[in-house]
Amino acid sequence: MITTVEMQSDGMLTAGELAKRDNLRSRRPYVAKKLANILAMEERGEISPIIRLEKSYLCNFQCTHCSAEYYMDRHLEKVLHVKEERKKIDMDGIRDLSRQADELGLARFVITGGEPLVMRDLDEVVAAIDPEKHYVIVDSNGWFLDDEKARHLKSIGVEKIQLSLDSLIEEEHDNFRNKPGSYKRVMRAIDATLDAGLNLLLSTVLIKGQPKTQAFLDLCKFTTDKGVGLYVSYAKPTGSCTDYPEFVIDKEDADILRDLEKKYLVFTHMTPSYGSFKGCITVKGIITVTSTGEITPCPYIDFSLGNLHENSLKEILDRGMKNPWLGAHRPDCLIGEDKKFIKIHTEKTAGATHLPLPWGEGFSDNDSLLD
Amino acid sequence: MELDALISTSGKLETLNEARFDEYGRCIPVSLKAQVHNESRRYFSVVQPKVDYSEIYQRFDKYLAIGGQISLGDFKQRAEAIMAFLGNLSGYENITQGVGVPFILPKSEKMDIGQAFEGTYLRGVQQSFDAMFPAHSFTSHCQSSLDGILNITPGSRHESVINAIQKDVVVGYYFPCLLEYSKPAAIEQLATLSDNFLLAGGFDTAAAIIGSPDLLLRKDGYPPLLWLSGLEGGGEKIGYHFEAYGYDLTFNRRVHFDQAAEYWASGLVVLG
Repeated sequence: MITTVEMQSDGMLTAGELAKRDNLRSRRPYVAKKLANILAMEERGEISPIIRLEKSYLCNFQCTHCSAEYYMDRHLEKVLHVKEERKKIDMDGIRDLSRQADELGLARFVITGGEPLVMRDLDEVVAAIDPEKHYVIVDSNGWFLDDEKARHLKSIGVEKIQLSLDSLIEEEHDNFRNKPGSYKRVMRAIDATLDAGLNLLLSTVLIKGQPKTQAFLDLCKFTTDKGVGLYVSYAKPTGSCTDYPEFVIDKEDADILRDLEKKYLVFTHMTPSYGSFKGCITVKGIITVTSTGEITPCPYIDFSLGNLHENSLKEILDRGMKNPWLGAHRPDCLIGEDKKFIKIHTEKTAGATHLPLPWGEGFSDNDSLLD
Repeated sequence: MELDALISTSGKLETLNEARFDEYGRCIPVSLKAQVHNESRRYFSVVQPKVDYSEIYQRFDKYLAIGGQISLGDFKQRAEAIMAFLGNLSGYENITQGVGVPFILPKSEKMDIGQAFEGTYLRGVQQSFDAMFPAHSFTSHCQSSLDGILNITPGSRHESVINAIQKDVVVGYYFPCLLEYSKPAAIEQLATLSDNFLLAGGFDTAAAIIGSPDLLLRKDGYPPLLWLSGLEGGGEKIGYHFEAYGYDLTFNRRVHFDQAAEYWASGLVVLG
């Protein structure tokens, strides 16, 4: 049995996780009840994906491996010389998404981007999602996350912060993030998050060969010693990383990481968690809503399953679950490891100016695992 | 070849010249109503473990206590006879081109399937896997006991396995060849195959792994999840399965909803 932040090796919840759940139940019983119901939903064949909301792509960083770079206005305007003229999701759209998600029993939103803490309307977005109905998580690079900001986020209903940390070697982190000083800021953000009583998850991007390095083991040890989970995302050949195919991991890297899960509080999106053994979580465990209302099955797949301006959330999720690449149980990372799918994705997105590719151009009802 | 061997449970005479297995040993789906992938890109595949009868026999001797019930010579002779039979069975020859591992099931006159599976076979898997891979681990994620839970799936012919071990020690070959079949499709397909083929359940699948603990080990790709489709229980549409997790091995349950997945496979066994 894998040991995780929330679960011991014997499959029982840790004392810390039990305390967190009790705390949430006392403050937000409706959300706690929905979260507790997720396993039962899976047993009934229902899905409960986390909704990643990319309301804005504004960002003060320009990371080497960013999956969202090609969605950003700066890329569209300065590199591609085009404008984003598609209809954007607004607060009414977010409120409607929250309502639809709630009706389906979905319980978790991640506000991401871009860098959410540069969004002027972040508080309004949190309110539109409604922390009384959903567990709200905010992704951040940590640059602007000081004590005051952390306390503010807690006060408006944010439950958890996911901070990016790529190395304990300051220079490595700053170079990977292309932002001098970013390491010091994220370290400050870690303390601020914990001091404010927010839950914390650290996230890092894994590139080929990295699991064998001492620097990576040091990072695993650091987060484990802090009692904080380290979420490891494989570098995918999409976004800015398209220019760095050598970053893409191989099976050995993935297996070494699976082994490290037994020793450290480290996990990927395929790691069994909360007693759930989903494997690749496309649609089943995660979806991304882009700023234009498109829904993609994972942050790194630039093919849409439908647009919230045209389809209901349920229709889009059903469509995703019927897709042969996405709906079925599989143990590996579709966009990070399946070379056939990576090739299809690379070929179809090559030259595209506006991502994700709409339904019918990337994914469609005619998709097949075979040629 | 005996005529009986060519007649399926539906009473239909098999078409002898039609290949039932492809060149990689995958059972070729006939026109099935249940969910199945008619073709496979072989993304999830099992790599043939080394078949060293002496080593495999020693594992059964250590971990399933078959000592005295069968000799190494008899095990090898009976197992090889199965492969020779299949290699000469018209239309079925290609199964021998795929992955297959021999196994022994000790005689057991009376048993509860779940209790015996958990108490004897899962423990045997644990011991055999730990011995071959001391740096890795086998884990059962099933939180509740299987006592009184597991029953034979109707239409699986798996009762033949259970009946056989109640009479004597059993030698068989396990073939993880129903790749990308749903559980109902595996049963539907089985009805079109010679009566020699049985759907694998718990004892035989576990025994295959006890004898060949590296059955699901792949370093350059992913092996499929192996359902115990000959068994059912514990809830509607619930199945039990072995699955690799990195270099580790796991046993677990999950809902299958009669669906097919590229990652899912069932096994056939032939007794000899």
